[in-house]
Order: sequence, then structure tokens, then C-alpha cells
Amino acid sequence: MNNTETPMPPKETSISRAHRLFYLIPVMALAIPFVANEYLQFMTNMILVYSVVTVGFNVIIGNLGQLAFANTAFFGIGAYTAAILMVYAGFPFVLAVVAAALIGGLGGFLASVTALRGIRLYYLAIITLAFGELMRWVYLHADGVTKGSDGLQMPKPDFFGISMNNETVKFYVFLLIAVLLIKATSNLMRSRIGRAFVAIRDNEAATASLGIHTARYIILAFVWSGAVVGVAGSMFAALTERVFPESFSLTEVIVHFAMVLVGGTGSIIGSVIGAITLTALPEYFRQFPGMEELFFGIIIVCVLLFLPKGLVSLLQRVSPIFIERFYRD
Amino acid sequence: MDPLLKLEGLTVHFSGLKALTDVSFDTHAGEVRAVIGPNGAGKTTLFNAISGYVQPTAGAVHFKGDPIHGLSPHEISSKGVRRTFQNGGLFPELTALENILAGLHTQIDGSFLGIILGTRAAREAERAGVARARKLLDMMDLGFLADQHVKDLSGGQQRMVEIVRTLATEPPLLLLDEPFVGLSPPMRIRMMEIIRKLAGEEGIGILLIEHAIDLVMSSSDIIIVLSSGQKIAEGKPEEVRENHEVLEAYLGYA
Repeated sequence: MNNTETPMPPKETSISRAHRLFYLIPVMALAIPFVANEYLQFMTNMILVYSVVTVGFNVIIGNLGQLAFANTAFFGIGAYTAAILMVYAGFPFVLAVVAAALIGGLGGFLASVTALRGIRLYYLAIITLAFGELMRWVYLHADGVTKGSDGLQMPKPDFFGISMNNETVKFYVFLLIAVLLIKATSNLMRSRIGRAFVAIRDNEAATASLGIHTARYIILAFVWSGAVVGVAGSMFAALTERVFPESFSLTEVIVHFAMVLVGGTGSIIGSVIGAITLTALPEYFRQFPGMEELFFGIIIVCVLLFLPKGLVSLLQRVSPIFIERFYRD
Repeated sequence: MDPLLKLEGLTVHFSGLKALTDVSFDTHAGEVRAVIGPNGAGKTTLFNAISGYVQPTAGAVHFKGDPIHGLSPHEISSKGVRRTFQNGGLFPELTALENILAGLHTQIDGSFLGIILGTRAAREAERAGVARARKLLDMMDLGFLADQHVKDLSGGQQRMVEIVRTLATEPPLLLLDEPFVGLSPPMRIRMMEIIRKLAGEEGIGILLIEHAIDLVMSSSDIIIVLSSGQKIAEGKPEEVRENHEVLEAYLGYA
């Protein structure tokens, strides 16, 4: 871990080492199928899907700092890309995931054009929301392919010959995908590329003054976000096995946004916490009629009022290991 | 000696407003040149036009003999013209170290794929950058602030971090937008020493903007006076101080 040129101060090095403890989380998660019933396993899988959604969305909201809400578009594009390729072209799930990443990335590229044209803040928010609604209209009306509001029934996915015919197999496949994407995103954020994203967020003019081609990094952030969320879409399709246009409505993007805010903007750990909190708690309160939406609202309001930096800031007070820096040493 | 920066008839008009009209001058390596003038004289427009944030209406800017007018800010910066900002050009939510690292951006290697996959080469390039950024902070005695968010630093510390960040890539030309504003008197003296040292020892060409003439008297080789977007005087500090036109137009008495 030590640089050969200059000795590192011990504090940072020990934090870098301590970060390896995070690998224990997926390792311990391997045991979940041994203790969870079918329903809890399904919810855990849903949390994995939303963790990927939130990690991807946070790149645009938290790191790049752009109010772009095309996230359900990426999510839906990924889901439909995977479903269509598996249904009509007989793609194996793994290839469908790769295709969802590519098409999601393309969606990200298209969405970035709006931000590049100097459309910002509320204008960007409205335009990107419209992009999401436009895609929902496409899913509804391209019913020859998507089966419209009936939903597109998928074949059972398989993973290199292993049938993903139960929640446990899905869990292990999803866990692998989530870990790979989260690790890749973390690598990206702790590099000059991730620094360029947050620099643009903090001061775009000053970023350019450092020789950084800001437009290129705005595009890159959108493409990466679109690709990651696109993959989450393909996971969602594999989880529910039937893809409906209504899964990608305006309400859905509000849920995604809430997960980013509740967990902590610009934080990968926060993204996962946000996804867990806002998937598990509303689900828990579903047993009390009408309470689900109420508690969803209460959680958001409380966190934003008392923890503007999200739930992750509680952990950061406990230990600096939860503070994410934009470099690695 | 060929000038580092050459301005020829630089003119910037904003829909009727004549922000800059026909401004010409040269800047050389190792020289501190100050541009002074009252509010609205066109000082910041001048910097914006040189650094690509504003497109000149007419005229030319050459850096080391190459035309740079019409290029975008990141291209001009990459050529070696670096600037600071009057209202703070730092990234407030980033730490001092991360700010310096952003300054080193163009000199840190690592392909996109290498970074994503966390290859050894990408990690080592990143660590080398971090080591260099720490060294730069240490050289200005700012090492103890490395992990502080810059929004939590004092005004003077922020200004120093911005200078370090601007200097990180060792640019031949530095544009400093009001470097003394908001600094305490001892910090001002330190800033003057740093500016003189950068020009004298490192041979960097420095062009700075300042509001008040007294602050640049001792730290500048040449002073240029702008008034209503026009250059009304250029010369050594003592010459400019004696210039009748300057006294009349800029200082408001004759």
C-alpha cells in the first residue's frame, strides 16, 4: 500500500487498510440464504437491485451535482433491453446484463446532452423527468414488442448454465453483480475522474481552469450512471420476471431520489444504506394499512431535517472509516 | 526576449457595453505585472478574455507566440496559462489535498478502464499524484490542512491553497485575480513575498489584478492602469504614481 517515493502518513494508510473491512459485508451476506425465508430473500434481492440503482443515481445527483431525473428512464431501458433480448433473441442473462449496461449508458449519453447545453437546475430536472415519462409512453405504445400494460413475461434467466429459478440463486448472482459495480464505481470516484465530477459540482468554471475538459466528464458521469442503473434494470427484470411500464413511473424516480437523500448524497456507503432503509422500512410498515406511504414520508422528512447529509453521516461520526475521500493512497 | 503573453488590440463588447477597448501589452517570464483600475474598469473581463471564459470581440492573445484567443478555458489552461478567481475558485466540499489533486489532474495518468478495474498501474499513478500533492502542500507549510474541507479554512488559508493548486502543474504564466483581497496585513506581506519569489526564483510570469494601487507598488515590476475598459497608463510603479492622467482618471483628483 505504501508509495515508494514518499512515505505515507500512517493515519491515511491505516484508513485505506481499514477500508478492506468493507469486503466483509458481501462475505457475511453470503450466509443470508441460510437464514432467510423465500419472502425475505426476495426483499434482500430487491435491496440489491436498489443498491445498484442508488449507487448509479448518486453519481449524477451527489457527485456531479446535477438535478437530472432520467434515472427511471435508465432503469426502464435496462429492464426492457434485458427482457426483450431474452424473450425475442434468446439471450442468456449475462449477455442481457451487458446489453442493458450499453443501452443504459447510451441513455445516459443522450441525457447528458441536456446538461451540456447549459440547461441546469429546475430546467434540467423537468426535461429529464420528461425523458423518463417519454420512455414510459414508449413501453406502453410499442406494445407489439413490450406487450404494453400487460407486461412482458420473461423466461427464467440462467447464469452460465445455472438456472436462476429461485430467489437464492438470484441472490448470489445479484450479489456478484452489485459488488462488482460498487467496487468499480468506488475505484472511479477515488481517481482523477471522480474528482473531476465533484469539482464540476463545486465550481464548474474553476474546474475548467485546471485544464479539465468539463464537458467530457459531464458526459462520462451520465454514461456511467446510465450504465450502472441500466444493469440494475436488468436485475429488476430478472427478479420480477415480468416487466411493466408502470414500474418506471414518476413515483419510481421519487423513490430513487429519496434513497439518495436519505442515505447521503455523494456517498456509496450512503447509497446502500438509503436503498436498504427505503426498501425495508416501507415494506415492514405494509402490514399496517396506509402506514407504508406515511412512514416513507416521515423517514424522508426526519432525515432531511435532522441529518441533511443522510444516514451515512451518523456512521461518519462514529468512525472515519465511513468518510469517503476522492483519492486513494 | 519574446514576450510570454502578448495582447494585441484586445476588445470585448457585451451588447453595447464596451468592457474592454483596444488593450495591448506584453508580459514576460519572471516579471510581475499588475493591472489596476477602479470597479468596472474591465480588469476581470481582461482576465476572462485571456483565459477563455469570455470570447474577445476583436484583437488577439498570443501565448509563447501561439494564438490562444478563441480556445476554451481548459485548452488555455493546458497550454500553461493558469488563473485564480476573485471570489474563490476552490472546491469547498473537497479537502485541501483533493483540491490540489484536481489541480494535478492533467498530470495524473491512468486510463478509464485501468481506473475502473483498479489496475496496479492506475493505482500507482494515483498514489504518485497524492504523494506529489502532499509535497506541494508541505512546501507551503499547509500539510497539516491536507484533510480539512477547504470551506472550513480561513480566508488566507484558502487563498494559499488556491495558489498551490494553480501552481501544481508549474505553469509558465499565472493570472492572479485580486490575490490580496480579504487577507490580513501580515498575510498580505506573505502573499507579496510569494509572488516576488515565484517570479524571481521560478521565473514565472505573473499578471495580477488589484484594486488598490498601494498594494502593488512594492510587489510589481510594471503597472498597467485600466479605466473604462481602456489602458490609460503603463510603466514602473513610480512612473505610474506620478502620471497626471492616472491621478485624474483613477484616483479622482488632479
